[in-house]
Amino acid sequence: MSKIRLLLFAFFLLYGAVIVRLFYLQVLHPITTTEYLSTRKILPNRGKIYDRNLQPLVTNQTKYRLFAEPKQVADKEILKIKLARALDVEEASIESKLDMTKQWVSLYTGISKEKRDELISLHLNGIGFDEIPSRFYPEGSSSAHILGFVGKNQDGDDVGNVGIEGFYDKDLAGLPGLIRSDRDLIDRPIFLGTQEKIEAENGRDIVLTVDKTVQEIIKRKLIEGVEKYKAKEGCVIVVQPFTLEILGLSCVPDFDQEHYYNYDPSFYIDSAISSLYEPGSTFKPLIMAAAMEEGLITPDSKFNEDGPVKVGEYSIRTWNNQYEGNITMTRILEKSSNVGMVYVGQKLGNKKLLEYIKKYGFGELAGIDLQGEVPGYLKPQSQWYPIDYATATFGQGLAVSPIQMIRAFASVINGGNLMTPHVVKKLISTSSQQEISPQITSRIIKKEVSDKIKQMLVSTIENGETKYLKPKGYVVGGKTGTAQIALQGRYDASKTIASFIGFSPIEKPQFLALVILKEPSTSQWGSETAAPIFFEIAKELIVYYNIAPE
Amino acid sequence: MNIIKKNIFYLVFAVLLFANVSIFISSMYLGEEINRFDSETKQLSQENLNLEKEVYQVQSLQYAASLSAHLNFTKQSQPVYFENLKYALNR
Repeated sequence: MSKIRLLLFAFFLLYGAVIVRLFYLQVLHPITTTEYLSTRKILPNRGKIYDRNLQPLVTNQTKYRLFAEPKQVADKEILKIKLARALDVEEASIESKLDMTKQWVSLYTGISKEKRDELISLHLNGIGFDEIPSRFYPEGSSSAHILGFVGKNQDGDDVGNVGIEGFYDKDLAGLPGLIRSDRDLIDRPIFLGTQEKIEAENGRDIVLTVDKTVQEIIKRKLIEGVEKYKAKEGCVIVVQPFTLEILGLSCVPDFDQEHYYNYDPSFYIDSAISSLYEPGSTFKPLIMAAAMEEGLITPDSKFNEDGPVKVGEYSIRTWNNQYEGNITMTRILEKSSNVGMVYVGQKLGNKKLLEYIKKYGFGELAGIDLQGEVPGYLKPQSQWYPIDYATATFGQGLAVSPIQMIRAFASVINGGNLMTPHVVKKLISTSSQQEISPQITSRIIKKEVSDKIKQMLVSTIENGETKYLKPKGYVVGGKTGTAQIALQGRYDASKTIASFIGFSPIEKPQFLALVILKEPSTSQWGSETAAPIFFEIAKELIVYYNIAPE
Repeated sequence: MNIIKKNIFYLVFAVLLFANVSIFISSMYLGEEINRFDSETKQLSQENLNLEKEVYQVQSLQYAASLSAHLNFTKQSQPVYFENLKYALNR
């Protein structure tokens, strides 16, 4: 009996010791260490980007990082050979990464699910995979400059660069969540401990004004055109002139967003918003509209084009050095007469000319919601010489961005409203939707003037050099432009920027498109390079928008 | 009386012990369940992502273009009314 009592005593003693220890650990000296506490970040899903018809342009996918634990590798040679074959890389490349003295080494990133499954089926020891969220582009790089890409910052976190990804990075990124949970040795939650969860807030989805079909058309036609005319670069912007929604924007060369790191950063520059050029004759309708708005001229006002015009020490000629005598203002646009435009500029006066150039938004940001826009350059009035006022009337001596140009041109055909161009139509979060509505910045010309300018631009196509390009039965308005490129203070006649800006239909234009080619080699003229690309695009847009003949 | 008290004490002790053990075991099971659901949810969302990717891929113009090239449907028809207005104007 005494033995049993002794055993019982010993049992209670041990039990008591356990209780005292627990009391010490949990009450007197509670453990607040993170020994059991596991804190994990919940990554939010980055917002998706859709076109205006809710067709996806950017979504998410999981890619994998292939890593190795060299200490677990049974046979390095076999691993090297099998990996090299499966990944289609050189064995030496694997050899250089597989440092056998390390516990863990990263071998390759960007492995697809199919490739991962293939590697798993090889049953190789000592390799594993980490999931890496990345972006997926169903339409490839068709909208590379508009969309931008997601890169990494110095801390290794995702960060949007250029285009929409850059401009709306905070909206797309969302907010990360957190799980704080006490876990046992085999990672089961301990319910008496800390169990906290703050849900991640996924990024907002973005609906663009861009139409992926328009985008596909313009990119295809632009690439064909750049190759055909052997141009260095090219850009096309298509907008809805009454809202200034961007329907399509494409510049080449561009880049592959998924493999952006293989491209020089110069490829990321979206020339449509970040580069400046001299607009040339596409600028003429803007000045013509300004003079008409001031009541100084009408489409039928006459001007005597009898030869070159002298401005200081300079002599300004027409592009072909031919002069037609008494011509109307409409004819000035039709034959793209520089001499005629100098006359219009003189009627307007230097002060008003500069005032209108500013009114059209040149020298300031157009305000497009894409990362990387530049404001252009308009020198101060004190630095304007008489020749500058003269050349500005036909678009030389000015540095504007393509987006500024199309914005200003839209104002003369949409009834006179200068608008803010935008690419985003709607921002959608789980709880709300935010619509972006068209924004009128200012009114520049009256509707009647706008209507007259449209007719003059129709006449420019009907009676100009590009009449043979126009689809039959359709009325298209537009203007060609050929600007020489200034090199070391002089214009090089062989290097030009050829452009064309046009719209259709006339009554209520559904699209306005600007085509720019830098240094085309087959011909230097906008009418022989940019204009054919415009009409090729216009033909497809007419079909796509189901526009009836006028 | 003493015996009754003793028995009640043993009974309460046994019940508490049983409750304690069963709570401990069920919390283990619950923990495992949570982990299982966690990984299943993750797997489902991954599958969802993969399926979504496949759907978007098939919907894309890139896929349509590659398929048409594969089927040799690449010749684009010029709208007839660009050259013959009578069709467009229904005359």
